[in-house]
Amino acid sequence: METIDNSIAVLVRNINPITKLLIVFCLGIGCLIYPLPFVGYGILCLLVILGILIGQGKQVLKLIAGFGIPVTLMLLFIQGLYSPKNITMIADFGFAQMGLEGTMYALKISSTLLIFLAAFYLMLQTTKNSETVAALTQSGLNTKIGYLILASLNVVPQMQRKVKVIQEAQESRGVEISGSFIQRAKAFLPLIGPVVLSSLTDAQERGMTLEIRGFGINGDKPTSYIKVETTSLDIVLRIIAICFLISSLIPRLL
Amino acid sequence: MTSTLIQVSHFSYRYNQESEVALKNVHLEVAAGEFVAMIGANGSGKSTLCNALVGLIPNYFVGYSEGRITVDGKDTASVSVGELSQTIGLVFQNPFNQLSYTADTVAEELAYGLGNRGVPRDEMFSKIKKIAELMQIDELLDKNPLELSGGQVQRVALASAIILEPKILVLDECTTQLDPIGSEQIMDIIKKLNESGITIVMVDHDMERVAELADKVYVLQHGSIVLGGTPEEVFCSPQLAEFSVSPPDYYEITKNVIQPGYREKDFALTESQAIALLQEVLYEDRNQEPQA
Ligand SMILES: Nc1ncnc2c1ncn2[C@@H]1O[C@H](COP(=O)(O)OP(=O)(O)O)[C@@H](O)[C@H]1O
Ligand SMILES: [Mg+2]
Repeated sequence: METIDNSIAVLVRNINPITKLLIVFCLGIGCLIYPLPFVGYGILCLLVILGILIGQGKQVLKLIAGFGIPVTLMLLFIQGLYSPKNITMIADFGFAQMGLEGTMYALKISSTLLIFLAAFYLMLQTTKNSETVAALTQSGLNTKIGYLILASLNVVPQMQRKVKVIQEAQESRGVEISGSFIQRAKAFLPLIGPVVLSSLTDAQERGMTLEIRGFGINGDKPTSYIKVETTSLDIVLRIIAICFLISSLIPRLL
Repeated sequence: MTSTLIQVSHFSYRYNQESEVALKNVHLEVAAGEFVAMIGANGSGKSTLCNALVGLIPNYFVGYSEGRITVDGKDTASVSVGELSQTIGLVFQNPFNQLSYTADTVAEELAYGLGNRGVPRDEMFSKIKKIAELMQIDELLDKNPLELSGGQVQRVALASAIILEPKILVLDECTTQLDPIGSEQIMDIIKKLNESGITIVMVDHDMERVAELADKVYVLQHGSIVLGGTPEEVFCSPQLAEFSVSPPDYYEITKNVIQPGYREKDFALTESQAIALLQEVLYEDRNQEPQA
């Protein structure tokens, strides 16, 4: 998590993780339900602006460009040209015709994906994992499941660190780890064995650690160092998120 | 009057997939407040014994055990490791595997065991502050535990065990990642904890340290306790070399410098003993044969 300390970033960081999850969920699902894709792109713009305001603009744009543009193009190609729903044709490329229905569908799916992605990314960047899990357990999530979520989230950086250590060791023994793809693959393959094997020992020892720290001895009533507050801002945001979700239903009901 | 806190009665253990036993008929007692050291070659069963003392054997590891271990009156086989952890704490070698992997900061890490015990949040703060000062990790409290150096994580691992205020602390080679000065600091802290009444069981390869700190020393070989007693009894034993253990350097030095039988006690085990002995001898020599 990067720490950028403008007041908006601080404000966003202090929002209850449950509120953030609810917003991510309501925005994504709302856009999926809402018949036209333009709401989705409007919200995406708002998310980018929010990203810029909290100093994450570049990363959010990168995410959208790197993932969103290829996926959108692919969806447009498949759905726009070949969807069986296509009735109204809007363009003719010779080898295929582009249909309005498929195009709209593709745009909606891609906007929904992008909103989930961008919103979730912003949430991760402004929330500590442990806070999210603390908030979830405080609102009734089983502590064992909470532990599983957290520990899995932390496994990736741990593995990366281990690979780096072994790579450095190999490099110091003269193994070439940069260069062509083949060269790198050759250097990487022998790493898998040690990393997996040591991960097994790691798993056993980490299990020991949990036992000797008394994981689960107090039943489902552990206390937490982290206090997650629900402020009036959280309440307002939650109401707005739910209203958005409900409002997306209205055009369907009319 | 001293009371027995740990009673290991003819305890044997074999890990599930191993053909050799890792512990063979181990029998020992630890009195409350004692400082016990366990030494022996790699693979002699020291860590296995540590795991058995805290109940991980037989409750967590899969294997076959015989005999019985009681800790503070509780049979380790009939209570959970978690329950036993209220009495006996363990710090083992690899500090990175002693993190909970649920904490974003060192302070949260220290609070983890407290949280499991249901310690109220406002009590956590004072405990964390106290332990951070003791272990000299104040500056690390807001750092991510995954981004610390080996020595720093080792301090955090120790702090996470000590913060739970166990009656007994089992330390299995817990300073291997620390530099000599850091390791010295930790030993000073452990010594103080022992003086404040906490029983210590320590596995260590530094014989000078063992001789300095331990009340009792046990030597393990192939899973058996082959020698046990005060540091003096153990390190002066003629059998010691057979068990792949060498006495503290001070012993070798004083033994080699001072002629056998020259004094009633012609050896030293610790630094301070060696200094005192050598000064005494040199001073006497000077008096007897004054130089012209
Ligand atoms: N988790 C384990 N599973 C199987 N065998 C083990 C395990 N841990 C240790 N052993 C075996 O038990 C014996 C004693 O090991 P250990 O207690 O680690 O010795 P020490 O700590 O004195 O070096 C060794 O032969 C070792 O291979
Ligand atoms: Mg060991």
